[in-house]
Amino acid sequence: MKQFFIRLGENPIYKKLLKEPLTYIAGAVLLAVFQIAHFSSLGSGWGVTSTFANWGAWIFEALGGDVSNWVYFSGEKAQKALESSFLADGGSIRNLGIIVGALAATLFASQFKFKKLKSLRQAVAAILGGLLMGYGARMAGGCNIGALFTGISSFSLSGWIFGAFLLAGAFIGSKLLAKYFM
Amino acid sequence: MAEFTLDCLGEACPVPLMKTEKKLNELTVGDVLIISIDHSCAMKNVPEWARKQGHNVEIEEVDDGEWEIVIEKTK
Amino acid sequence: MPETNTSINTSRTRRVRKPKKSQIPQAILVTLFMIAFGFYLGAGNSKLPVYWGFGIAFGYILQRSRFCFTAAFRDPCITGSTSVTRAVLVAVAVASVGFFAIKLSPVLAGSETNLNMSGVSPIGLPLMLGAILFGIGMVIAGGCASGTLMRVGEGFTMQMLSLVFFVAGSLWGAHDMNFWSKFNENAPKIFLPDVFGWFGAILVQGLIIILLYIAAVKWQEKKMGSAE
Repeated sequence: MKQFFIRLGENPIYKKLLKEPLTYIAGAVLLAVFQIAHFSSLGSGWGVTSTFANWGAWIFEALGGDVSNWVYFSGEKAQKALESSFLADGGSIRNLGIIVGALAATLFASQFKFKKLKSLRQAVAAILGGLLMGYGARMAGGCNIGALFTGISSFSLSGWIFGAFLLAGAFIGSKLLAKYFM
Repeated sequence: MAEFTLDCLGEACPVPLMKTEKKLNELTVGDVLIISIDHSCAMKNVPEWARKQGHNVEIEEVDDGEWEIVIEKTK
Repeated sequence: MPETNTSINTSRTRRVRKPKKSQIPQAILVTLFMIAFGFYLGAGNSKLPVYWGFGIAFGYILQRSRFCFTAAFRDPCITGSTSVTRAVLVAVAVASVGFFAIKLSPVLAGSETNLNMSGVSPIGLPLMLGAILFGIGMVIAGGCASGTLMRVGEGFTMQMLSLVFFVAGSLWGAHDMNFWSKFNENAPKIFLPDVFGWFGAILVQGLIIILLYIAAVKWQEKKMGSAE
């Protein structure tokens, strides 16, 4: 049985389909097709980060905090999401799906490896980067997916503006990375 | 014709690429650099970058999710 | 591929290889879990399995193609490579055609709809500042939101840590919207077809994408000497 799976993993057709990386362009077209399907079936484009704010609020409220007077959560949609729970919230399920989908892709390629933190520097980079992204995404109303990919595809000028300033941020980030995190 | 190694295990993008670029600058033509990585994106972008620069590149999967990229500096 | 004629002779002693393992059995287990969980979600709600399926598809595609929105903006700054940037432009171009059709069809049918403004956000100071902060963060953390989730699935502890603080940062940002939302009160929401008409909008969008694509090619030629 074990031998069978090893042989299957070395089959040229299997390797082509499930192991060797697709080209960036193939990925782009596939993402676009699924993005269109997402919009047409669910009535809204793909987004990732507004769910993170809900997760944060759930945890905060579980710890005894209160977000009911925050402007951000005052909208009808945000209220509905707050009353929901992880297993009943579409955004949470979709984000969980991204993790599990990537896990499956890695396992089919026999490339899964648990990668430990290598240094304190990496931990600092992860913490700082995570905080900046979370804060920035809430200010801008989305991330590379919601504000950029969905924004531009929706013919919103905001998507292009987001992209221009994102590039400026990436430039600053590259300089910081070369200086402090290498 | 010396041989150098670069350990980028556990490093996330774009650090392996930046380290490779820096290290390769220090080498002379004909030298070989062996980079160990376990980041699935670096396994695509480091060889791609090196090929664009005109170097000879070889990738070897040494373990599950772990690769060695061999770059021969050609210019 | 150029790999074929590049055999390199080195004197290196090759590392002794561990016997190859196959992770396909685990992959099949995960797949079975996906299907079972999909049915579980579908028991009380018809929308949730759809979200679940889309999530899996996005995660799967991102991992298989190593698609990375971060690299699209970072690589031009670091190495001058724009291959991922160009792929993002292709993704946006293809998606635009579909979104255009979906938004236009109720207009052609003459029905009232609020689909038009779906995905259209206000352009104000918070958008610009937020984009800059997000740009810095994604380069330092080695992945944006979708990239971070994908790498959690690949087993990166660094991105798991990053995700925890991403959530914390989101809560912090949501809290501070009490302050920032003031700047969005007069910020315009600009939907391109409102400005240029439907035909004009797809023309302008196409032109922007083509010009950026050319700029990306030129940039790489300048920085790396080849646009390949």
